[in-house]
Amino acid sequence: MGAIDFLLHESSVGYSIFQLVHQPDTIGNRLREVQHASQDLSKFGKIIKLVSFAPFQGAAQALANANDVSEGILSDYLRSLLEMNLPKPNKKAIVLGVADKNLAGSIKAAFPFIECETGDTSEVVQDLLRGIRLHAPKLLKQLQEGDVERAQLGLGHAYSRAKVKFSVQKNDNHII
Amino acid sequence: GRGGARGGAKVVVVCSLVVLMPYKSNCLKEAFPRHSGVFVARGKEDMLLTKNLTPGESVYGEKRITIDTPASSATGDGNAVTTKTEYRVWNPFRSKLAAGILGGLENIYIKPGAKVLYLGAASGTSVSHVADIVGPTGIVFAVEFSHRSGRDLINMATHRTNVIPIIEDARHPLRYRMLVSMVDVIFADVAQPDQARIVGLNAHMYLKEKGGVLISIKANCIDSTAAPEEVFAREVQKMREEKIKPKEQLTLGKYKFSL
Repeated sequence: MGAIDFLLHESSVGYSIFQLVHQPDTIGNRLREVQHASQDLSKFGKIIKLVSFAPFQGAAQALANANDVSEGILSDYLRSLLEMNLPKPNKKAIVLGVADKNLAGSIKAAFPFIECETGDTSEVVQDLLRGIRLHAPKLLKQLQEGDVERAQLGLGHAYSRAKVKFSVQKNDNHII
Repeated sequence: GRGGARGGAKVVVVCSLVVLMPYKSNCLKEAFPRHSGVFVARGKEDMLLTKNLTPGESVYGEKRITIDTPASSATGDGNAVTTKTEYRVWNPFRSKLAAGILGGLENIYIKPGAKVLYLGAASGTSVSHVADIVGPTGIVFAVEFSHRSGRDLINMATHRTNVIPIIEDARHPLRYRMLVSMVDVIFADVAQPDQARIVGLNAHMYLKEKGGVLISIKANCIDSTAAPEEVFAREVQKMREEKIKPKEQLTLGKYKFSL
């Protein structure tokens, strides 16, 4: 398998697309190099570069996207982000690293020129996404300290309340 | 190897012994040796405690005790102001983690400021003590699939803002990837036949390098026909295959849990 060109990271604050700017020389070295570098933000920051960060505009949009992401559905918001930020290649398809194979399928169906690699098919993708998750609050420069956690808290409650059929607005109508 | 689980620890819990510390008549509470954020009260009977994150409230009817701490003499103006600190009693018969601590676990990885992925959070009684331990700078990502328990978990979490409730199947960690950060430790109490795999999947995605794993194994839930020792050994082997190295293991035989 060829090199990874881009990576998609889904978080509580929004979607972000990263570009792999430094391709390690050989396949054999690649995994070790990525694993090693992902521990250290200064090294990891040289491997990947933020292309675009699309923050959610509110709790309702975040919840709708969280539901889509968990089901592997390509939301309109994500679709337009990919459309705007991924180059349409002339010959070779571009390769996007995504976490989930279901979402990868949805992306592939909408964008024939994108090839997807997932954490299942590529350990390099898995480790790159781990690195992004680890450093996300720093890599997304417009965020303040604690933004990701605050958004996780609100989104966790909204997502979970919907699952157990509590009112998302926290007005509890007991069903049982 | 795959990401995640390199160098974790593991635990199979059981318990027999309480570590005794020197008795101090004027102060009930002492930090439990080894585990920061966990305390012991000395009285007629010793009690395990965590510092209540929401003073004045019990979560599941557990006892609370308030301890006066004399102010440090830094002020020096003669006014001895004492500060009151409230602790919640943590019953080892109701929490496997508490039993494990009393059983002498060397390292629980859960400490003030830590990020914890808690699989099998149930109604959140044990989770609330973990939230006490990690404190306001830590986070507990509490995953529970049952909706019935999940409602209690969500209600508990509304009072504790360092708990993020996640009603989702821990078998599919990708589904909650927007809700979870990289964590320092995974605690698993899922009592499922494929729990080693469940923990492995979550560790590959969310556990930091050299993070800790604590897993409670109920032999009956894995294989009710085999001897418990054999089940434990097999589970340990499965964890090794997930690149999670066993560090310590103990049996919680003294404590009978209702499951």
